[in-house]
Amino acid sequence: MRDSKIKMFILYGLAGAITAISVLPILWVVFGAFKSDIGMMTLPPVAPDFADWSLIIEFVAKYYPFIFNSLFVTIGSTIFCLILAMPMAFGLVNFKLRGENFIADWILSTRMMPPIAAAIPLFIIFNGLGMVNSRASLLIAYTGFNLPFAIWVLMTFIRKVPKELIEAARAEGATWFQTLLYIVVPVSLSGIATTATFVFIFAWNEFLLALFLTGQETRTLPVVISSFVGTGRIYWSNIAIATLIQSIPPIIFAFVMQRHIVSGMTMGAVKD
Amino acid sequence: MAKNSGISPVAQMRVTKRHLWSSDRFQRIAFILPTSIFLLCLTLFPFIYSVYLSLHFVKMTNLSKKIYAGLENYIDLFNDSLFTTGIKNTASLAVTTLTVEVLLGFLIARILFELSSKRGINFLRSAYLVPIMITPIVVGVAANYIFTPQLGIANYLLGSVGIEPIGFLGIAIPARLTVLAINVWQWTPFMALLILAGLTSIRQDIVEAAKVDGAKWYHIMFWIEIPSILPIILLGMTLRLIEILRFFDIIYITTRGGPGDNTMVMTLYTYQQGFRYFHVGLSSASAVVILFVSITVTTVAVNLLRRAENNA
Repeated sequence: MRDSKIKMFILYGLAGAITAISVLPILWVVFGAFKSDIGMMTLPPVAPDFADWSLIIEFVAKYYPFIFNSLFVTIGSTIFCLILAMPMAFGLVNFKLRGENFIADWILSTRMMPPIAAAIPLFIIFNGLGMVNSRASLLIAYTGFNLPFAIWVLMTFIRKVPKELIEAARAEGATWFQTLLYIVVPVSLSGIATTATFVFIFAWNEFLLALFLTGQETRTLPVVISSFVGTGRIYWSNIAIATLIQSIPPIIFAFVMQRHIVSGMTMGAVKD
Repeated sequence: MAKNSGISPVAQMRVTKRHLWSSDRFQRIAFILPTSIFLLCLTLFPFIYSVYLSLHFVKMTNLSKKIYAGLENYIDLFNDSLFTTGIKNTASLAVTTLTVEVLLGFLIARILFELSSKRGINFLRSAYLVPIMITPIVVGVAANYIFTPQLGIANYLLGSVGIEPIGFLGIAIPARLTVLAINVWQWTPFMALLILAGLTSIRQDIVEAAKVDGAKWYHIMFWIEIPSILPIILLGMTLRLIEILRFFDIIYITTRGGPGDNTMVMTLYTYQQGFRYFHVGLSSASAVVILFVSITVTTVAVNLLRRAENNA
């Protein structure tokens, strides 16, 4: 009895330590949002003043267009991605198509492609269309790069919709479109939400494509953060505040989605 | 809809039109085709275009002038020691980070498994997900801040226990170890939670039966646990490999491949050739090599995985 109490104590200690190591490095920077430039570089560390929002307000007043860019591109591409992925996923599950497996495998393989391999062609194409430095180019690119994942994950959710429901709707004379909209979408709402969350986070976190597809005005938050880390003087306070804003959605989703995160990330990986 | 003979031509047209719109075939095409075309344009086409560009001499500053180069770019590429170093670094990063992540992940999964039905563990698990979800660029700047040579908290903490300050990101070996540590920090949670899911799915009556028969903990670990979580570990490793081949953001923000070429990876090389030195051909050749490596690696890994799953 005593033995197992000690064991539990040690296990809790270890679990707590692991969690602390996972969260503290990020918090350490984020707390900098409540310190001054000098305060961030003072050792031993000074305590953050959580009542002092003046620097944060100043930052938002100056950099809000970039926060808007990030939100615009992320939300826009998430919506487009779902609109394009939903019918495709539904079709791949419910239609008897010629070459169905081939299409599914092709989608899976595009999911594995590293974005860097498409970087130069995308730049040249968007450049040719006069779309580099526009938000639209990034929106289109994110939609495209997240589509394979979205289709793949949505397929696993749509497979769980009872076949009888779909057949009944079809027998009643519903078109495929109506079946999708009124039967499948309401039933698989939680699956759609999970997919949307992932697509949102992928787009929100993306840096490489944003680095060369955006210009001075259309930069997203990660690109802005990277520009603070230049040569010469580093504006730590700005970095900390931008980091704080950038970290809000991922941290919220980590807590809200907790059970779905790991399973969702593996769902898009291989055939089940 | 029943057609009657007394219908006006316009109404008749409307009927056939609606018929086309609601026809099964048309709907199927409407469901599949637009998305497929969009995907083709955004994924397949750029890759083919990459291959085309890699066979030409092109400058970013004058894109219309393309001179056929044959395999010249590829020859230049493999003669460039920076690129071969990039391959070596990517490979060694993959091997080291995967090894550490699997071992550490297993250990942590065991700890969380022992606590799985206990109070407060859900909160700890959620917090443990933060590194997976957080923006890589944020991870990079956090590393920069923590490992700043004179004024970083890392050296301050080391100093408080009497260790001399270390130039974490500025000296060859420490820089490589720091990059490894950042990777391990960010992705061990993923591996651990994946393994935890595997451990949870093992039937406890089998474990109990083995214990009754006198099996020690290491018997259980090697004969029951590890064999049944092997497919899941392989899955995790496959996904991590894909991620490592894409590894860019953190290197870009922390070391930029330095000091020297110590943390140069393939993606960074491709980026720099294309967008810093404007060697479109060379950069494309490098991109094609990355593409080839990812396809090979993932095909092998996915096949291994499917075989392991069929055996399990």
